[in-house]
Amino acid sequence: MSACAPSAPNSSLTAEYVNPIITATRSVFEMMLGCVPTRTGLRLKEPGEHSHDVSAVIGISGRAQGTIVVSLTRESACAVVERMIGEKETEINAVVCDAVGELTNMIAGSAKAQLAKYELSISLPNVIAGHNYVMHSPSDVQSMIMSFNSEIGPFWIEIAFTGF
Amino acid sequence: MRVLLVDDSGTMRTIQKRCLNKLGIEDIIEAEDGVQALQYFQQGQYDIVLTDWNMPHMDGLTLLKELRQLNRDIPIIMITTEAERARVVLAIQSGVSDYLVKPFTPEGLKEKLEKWVGVSA
Repeated sequence: MSACAPSAPNSSLTAEYVNPIITATRSVFEMMLGCVPTRTGLRLKEPGEHSHDVSAVIGISGRAQGTIVVSLTRESACAVVERMIGEKETEINAVVCDAVGELTNMIAGSAKAQLAKYELSISLPNVIAGHNYVMHSPSDVQSMIMSFNSEIGPFWIEIAFTGF
Repeated sequence: MRVLLVDDSGTMRTIQKRCLNKLGIEDIIEAEDGVQALQYFQQGQYDIVLTDWNMPHMDGLTLLKELRQLNRDIPIIMITTEAERARVVLAIQSGVSDYLVKPFTPEGLKEKLEKWVGVSA
């Protein structure tokens, strides 16, 4: 997986927090799910853009502030559960939400460790499940979406930060 | 051997519990946060505690300090996403016996647990 070279404004600052998230995602997937994801895209989020079947949200605070949101399809989320604890789920339920939340917790935590100079803290994950929901960020914060593909299926990581 | 396993994630408790089972440990009491863990600890006898750091109601660092007030010798292993050196130092200063950073491989978890429970299992 290559380092990020986005075309968004302030690309060097963007890369400063995007690259740790990419690295963290790769290591979490490799160690916990036994597969290495491939980043397939990086773009600005469109207003009113819908999320997917399940999303885990983690708030970031400290010398920078923002959110990390990991979103998956139902199939990918169920595959995460099977890889992590060997149980076959077919619908988004409490077990699936917990697994997605913990996966996101590990990605955010691992990225935070790479950004130690910003003295960040992360919240406990909140998980949203449903259809066609829209996640809104504060008006002065631009969200970016990284898309990935992997053996467990596609997933997306939305990041929105200030302070970098 | 009786283990007190503390993590707000059921997924993570399942992963750790299965690893303990493979090491021959079956007597495992699970707690979802530090408050529940402290209650269980005060009500029973345990040989080792495995705890997360970031949990609701009472975090793992606070739990660690509370447990050390009650028992200075019991092995307490922190299994957490908190990986910064300052956080590890803080945990050591608070009395943690060992530390494992999430994410971890199955082999990494096994190796860590074997060090503390493998000999007695």
